[in-house]
Amino acid sequence: MKEQQNPKARVDCLSRKFGDEILVYDKQRNIGHCLNSTAAAAWKLCDGNRSTSEVAGILTQQLSAPVDESLVQLAVEELAKARLLVEAEAPRRRTSRRDVIRTLGIAGAIALPLVTSLVAPTPARAASCQAKGAPCVSSTQCCSGNCNTNSGKCH
Amino acid sequence: MNILYADNVRIARNADLDQVLAALETDLHRYTAETAPSMTFLHAGVVGWQGRAILLPGLSLSGKTTLVREMLRLGATYYSDEFAVVDNFGMVHPFSRPLGIREDSTFAQTKYSAETFGAASGTKPLPLGAVVLCNYEAGARWKPVSLSAGQGALELMGNSISIRTKPHHTLRRIQKLVKGAVFLKGARGEARESAASILNLATTEIGPETE
Repeated sequence: MKEQQNPKARVDCLSRKFGDEILVYDKQRNIGHCLNSTAAAAWKLCDGNRSTSEVAGILTQQLSAPVDESLVQLAVEELAKARLLVEAEAPRRRTSRRDVIRTLGIAGAIALPLVTSLVAPTPARAASCQAKGAPCVSSTQCCSGNCNTNSGKCH
Repeated sequence: MNILYADNVRIARNADLDQVLAALETDLHRYTAETAPSMTFLHAGVVGWQGRAILLPGLSLSGKTTLVREMLRLGATYYSDEFAVVDNFGMVHPFSRPLGIREDSTFAQTKYSAETFGAASGTKPLPLGAVVLCNYEAGARWKPVSLSAGQGALELMGNSISIRTKPHHTLRRIQKLVKGAVFLKGARGEARESAASILNLATTEIGPETE
């Protein structure tokens, strides 16, 4: 089995800062992700050269609070699950949030890493739907989700 | 029979000309929202309140228009029941077509002007004050939770028309839009009570705009 690679953030996604959070848009999969402060800080440091322990060391300095490697490992797993990292060749071990909380204590100074994801709507889905009997060409246009293509009307 | 094409794509075919013209209007709105070069369109109801915009994002049938109507009755200014139009500076522009209120189970809309509800229509762009994310639940009382700016921005992205086609512009405008805004999320009950609660909360949370 190959050595586990250092985590590396994908560079083909768009990102914007919102305070200490980052909104990342994956153009390939049309999914938006909100990275909370911890996930965002870890993501920025995942350059493929640093190990999780090195990332933890840098975060400890940046945040002026002790950051355990298990927290970074959890962040890396969250980011990998959201496919925001370059694919790792070796499977990563699963870090339990409960174990991390146990390690850090309930009142840890650093928030647990969290990535929230949302599929971007198509323009048709983001617009208002059509009433029963209104003309349609596809079911996505109809409030009922049902376009009779023979009659060209929403059911 | 009346048939409507957009280029070589059939949009509508119906004996009733009004239905086909309504389809034309819908398609023009969608096209404008998707392709406008200098604006980003978010699917949301919008009212003006104390010099700021309140956005009510939501998909069809989520009750946006009903809530907008009740806010107009309470003195808010009408901006839109369909789109929040956001410029490069993050200001919200009016898209004040007549309110399309669905009054029966067929989902058919009846059009009303803002004046019908004693409200004026906004003409000037406004900075954003609050984004209110709510869904109707019978008997619910409006007890919202606050969202962070990042979480709120993600919700707005989920209501943007052009995120897939123009992600750069869309994200940049959303970033400008949300500066200083509050995000509230929760279940709401009847529109009349909820509208009053939302405006009360908006008054205390965002306060009036200072020149």
